[in-house]
Amino acid sequence: MLKYTVQRILLMLMTLLIITCMCFVLVRMLPPVQLPAEDPHTKVILARREAMGYNKPYLVQFGIFLRDIFTRWDWGVSDKLYFGQDVAAIFMDKLPATMIVNIYSILLSIPIGISLGIWAALKKNTIIDHLISTLTMVVISVPSFVYAFLIQYFLSYKWGVFPFLMNSGRNYLDWSMFVSMMPPVLSLSFGVIAGFTRTTRAELTEVLTSEFMLLARTKGLTKGQATVRHALKNCMVVVLPMIFGEFIGIMSGSLIIESIFAVPGVGSLYINSINGRDYNMFMLLTVFYTAVGLSAGIVVDISYGLIDPRIRMGSRK
Amino acid sequence: MKKFLAMLLVLALTVSGLALAEEPAAEEPAEEITTELTGEAGKYIYKDSVSTLATNWNPHTYQTTDDAYPADFLRVGLYSFVFNDALHPIEGKEPYAGYVIVPEMAADMPVDVTEQVKAEHPEFKIPESATKGYAYTIDLNPECVWEDGTPINADTYVYSMKRLLDPQLKNYRATDYYDGDLSIAGAKEYANQGDSAYDGAMEKTVDEFLAAGGKLEDLYVDIDGFWGIKTEDGKGFVSIFDETPIRDPAVEEGQPEDYVSGKYLYDNYLANGTPYEAYQSAYLGTATVYPTGMDFANVGVYKTGEYQITLVLSKSLTGFYLLYGLGGNWIVKEDLYEANLKPTGDTFTSTYNTSVETTSSYGPYKLVNYEADKNMHFVRNENWYGYKDGKHVYVDPEDGETYNMYMTDEIDTQVVAEAATRKLMFLKGLLMGYGLQAEDFASYRNSDYTYFTPGSTIFFLILNGYKDVINEREAAADFDAEKIDLQTMTVLNFRKAVALTYDKEDFAATVSPARSGGYGIIGTAYLFDPETGSRYRDTDQAKQALCNAYSVNPADFASLDEAAASITGYDPVAAKEFYQAAFQDALTAGYITDADNDGICDQTVQIEYAISSASSFMDRTIAYLNEKMAAVTEGTPFAGKVQFVQSAPYGNDWSNKIRAGLSDTVLGGWSGSTFNPFSLTDLYVNPAYAYDAKWFDATKVELTINVAGEELTTTLYNWSDALNGKTITIGEKEYNFGADQADVDTRLNILAAIETTVLGTYDYLPMLQDAGASLLSQQIFHVVEEYNPVMIRGGIQYDRYNYDEAEWKEFVDSQPDGTLSY
Repeated sequence: MLKYTVQRILLMLMTLLIITCMCFVLVRMLPPVQLPAEDPHTKVILARREAMGYNKPYLVQFGIFLRDIFTRWDWGVSDKLYFGQDVAAIFMDKLPATMIVNIYSILLSIPIGISLGIWAALKKNTIIDHLISTLTMVVISVPSFVYAFLIQYFLSYKWGVFPFLMNSGRNYLDWSMFVSMMPPVLSLSFGVIAGFTRTTRAELTEVLTSEFMLLARTKGLTKGQATVRHALKNCMVVVLPMIFGEFIGIMSGSLIIESIFAVPGVGSLYINSINGRDYNMFMLLTVFYTAVGLSAGIVVDISYGLIDPRIRMGSRK
Repeated sequence: MKKFLAMLLVLALTVSGLALAEEPAAEEPAEEITTELTGEAGKYIYKDSVSTLATNWNPHTYQTTDDAYPADFLRVGLYSFVFNDALHPIEGKEPYAGYVIVPEMAADMPVDVTEQVKAEHPEFKIPESATKGYAYTIDLNPECVWEDGTPINADTYVYSMKRLLDPQLKNYRATDYYDGDLSIAGAKEYANQGDSAYDGAMEKTVDEFLAAGGKLEDLYVDIDGFWGIKTEDGKGFVSIFDETPIRDPAVEEGQPEDYVSGKYLYDNYLANGTPYEAYQSAYLGTATVYPTGMDFANVGVYKTGEYQITLVLSKSLTGFYLLYGLGGNWIVKEDLYEANLKPTGDTFTSTYNTSVETTSSYGPYKLVNYEADKNMHFVRNENWYGYKDGKHVYVDPEDGETYNMYMTDEIDTQVVAEAATRKLMFLKGLLMGYGLQAEDFASYRNSDYTYFTPGSTIFFLILNGYKDVINEREAAADFDAEKIDLQTMTVLNFRKAVALTYDKEDFAATVSPARSGGYGIIGTAYLFDPETGSRYRDTDQAKQALCNAYSVNPADFASLDEAAASITGYDPVAAKEFYQAAFQDALTAGYITDADNDGICDQTVQIEYAISSASSFMDRTIAYLNEKMAAVTEGTPFAGKVQFVQSAPYGNDWSNKIRAGLSDTVLGGWSGSTFNPFSLTDLYVNPAYAYDAKWFDATKVELTINVAGEELTTTLYNWSDALNGKTITIGEKEYNFGADQADVDTRLNILAAIETTVLGTYDYLPMLQDAGASLLSQQIFHVVEEYNPVMIRGGIQYDRYNYDEAEWKEFVDSQPDGTLSY
């Protein structure tokens, strides 16, 4: 298992380097943002680009990029979105808001989603199951920004339960801040709850009809005991990686939800960095999210073995 | 299961901990800021919203209007504008009908010392003939300090200008002090050391250039304009002797002319005897090389006293325009500025003014909280001299009482991306203003709290007239010439007909209700005399220009005013006649056919509308154009045969498509300095700007204007140059109609004549006068209701409050459902 893990990590690093190189070269090959020919400021911008090495060969630029990271942990400065500021500092400054909102969303979604899934599975083909399944489909089909507007209209505007926007500041454990985060948390939660519900229901339904469940009941376990001790544990083989996947996703943020509720997170950074040709910001985000994605693959794979000891990764047999 | 839950909890706590640990201590805001009403008695908080928050408000490097947002709160200029009132009277003007320019960071008005500086400082190269307008001493206000109490003196100004122009820093705003009206002597040379700049087309043939004493070595090819390429370091010009190959991306590698050089282009295309010899005057020019090692002592900003600087200009500037130019400020706090410079490649990058810690105010407010993309919070800068000097007061036009300016205690600016959210927040009393959207006009157009503010842009439909490209498009293999026609849109009568097809006010009301109809190429916001606040559009010349353009005879009306007011741009009867004439013209030219002789065009005249991206505004615009076109062409040979079609989304490339004739129309616009309508002419005659440069050559179109009883004829291009201060030659005589060079009536006559000529091309069909409409919160009111082109409605220094925060909260809570009614 250890050998397998080390192999996977090495492979991941190699993949990361290749993806980074490809993205770096491709993004620098994009035609630069057109500048108005007669604008006197154009000359200044061109001179800055030249001074910052944008006209050097791509591989030389990539070499400079890697050298700065490995020798000084310097990811460069933003030359468009946050002019002159350290891109790593900006990213790390904005990441907590995204993470905290998503963590609350998942912490809210896991118990509700799994509980509803269990309930639907146990009440299979009853009105409760049909109701939960139908609602799940509806919720999954509707984009989250629709909930966002509904929540904002009813909970903030009509009933005044929550503020319109998330509070400024970083006192995330403060009650007022917590309350102000509820609209985006709720908006994000609907889809996640539905996802957990659907997966749990599907897996549990299948497990409940397995022969070993019959054996468990014949051994004298109650339905509840059999479900919790055997069925639920088995269905977690699928559900738990999904939870991990959601946790990994918390760092990517949501462009629209963050925008509607003024969550100062990273949701819009990626798109803005591409549109603005903010190369350094784009590269930092690319490397970060690629690393996160690749790491997630490893974590999920290894988690199978933790949940069900019968599953062994990297076995030569 | 227990293991799983434990693991989940650990993971959640770890990530939460990480999230909290990332918080940089230095960025900790003083307190948590909520958008809820605070309810504090005796406090006045201006609650603002923006869709994009400033990220860099460094006066040397900021680039966007979003970044300029904090400037009004944190900085003040050497001179500022205040309304005329009992304390600042203007003879013959009603209070609040004009403005007065007063010293702000300066202690007094500038003193002209041109003669003295010319004698003592030959390094500034003030022309021998100049007696005024080139050099000024400015006494500085000794009460000015930074928010921490550090004094602001002459050294601050000199240091800041030196840093602004520092060639190593390559500051974006440096050009503001040498390429505009306020052009500091030596600034351009200092900032561009070691660089070179193209001077522009020489506007002569090579022979004429040599005959005038020029040398071939001094000639450069405008490779960007002529060939559409640039050097590797982004330059658009190279010497005619430069043999460095430059890649032409339009040609496949390996094909002829995949690489060209300046010498190649000159020898093969532009030299005497080559095919494009006639283009020498347009694409050959000279360049200025800026030598290195220049000392800052040669730049026209220097200290002449502890609280006095002298400013030397490279071109004269006087009166309003001088004071207006000094309405901004370039100073930075030295210790903070130096601490925030960071080497980046071969240049430096500054993080000055990007956070609370890197910002120091010298204006009425100071920044106390900044969260990128989220919030800015300002409170009173108690060290600002303006709160104590007794000068920042005004007399209310209603009650005659004297009030202090800046009643606002705090300004809280939130990023609210969605208009729908802004509206809901506004109705709950959480914002001071709400910009009306198209769907809001039915409800709020007539509200007492709705304010309309004219913009400076005129939006016109550009109509493609680039025949060569249109012919090429029609010759394409996939073009169905049996069914579609593009060429008819170039027929003059057709263009005249289109110009009379649309009621401009109805168009505005339908597609963009905040705006109004546009008729000329110069909008209603432009003042030809900022000192009196006189608008160009109100002059007889401007009214006559519109009558000429829309074929309205003033003799048919009681007055010129009435004649101009009658213009709607919509005349279906005349339009039908023009369509009929256009049909015959197009048939004769072979653009269209009428095979069955039914008097109806066989083809559909297709006009592609270039869109940058799909939007409901574009959909409404195109639908309106088609609907009204169908109505007006009814009964003509083009009945149902003219169609506006939406292009693919071109993004930022839409203007290139229009200029290249590859797309046929778009609602575009120009805006310029509202104090100088004369400068707008350049946008329509200069090929660098003009949308129709490829099919309308302003250097060839001649225009005759009667100037002081003398009929003068020269090209449109020359008229525009002369109007903007360049000396031109007509016959044997030199003329210059720039500001301070000609009387204002003559200048207005020339401007109106140019406007008439441009409108007469029917390349630009004015449609919309830009404007915005917004609701103002019941918590505050503007001291003056009327819009003033210079003062707008006074800004935050004149806004007063009906309620403090406690009263406001109580008032909002007392409303039905806690929702305000407007």
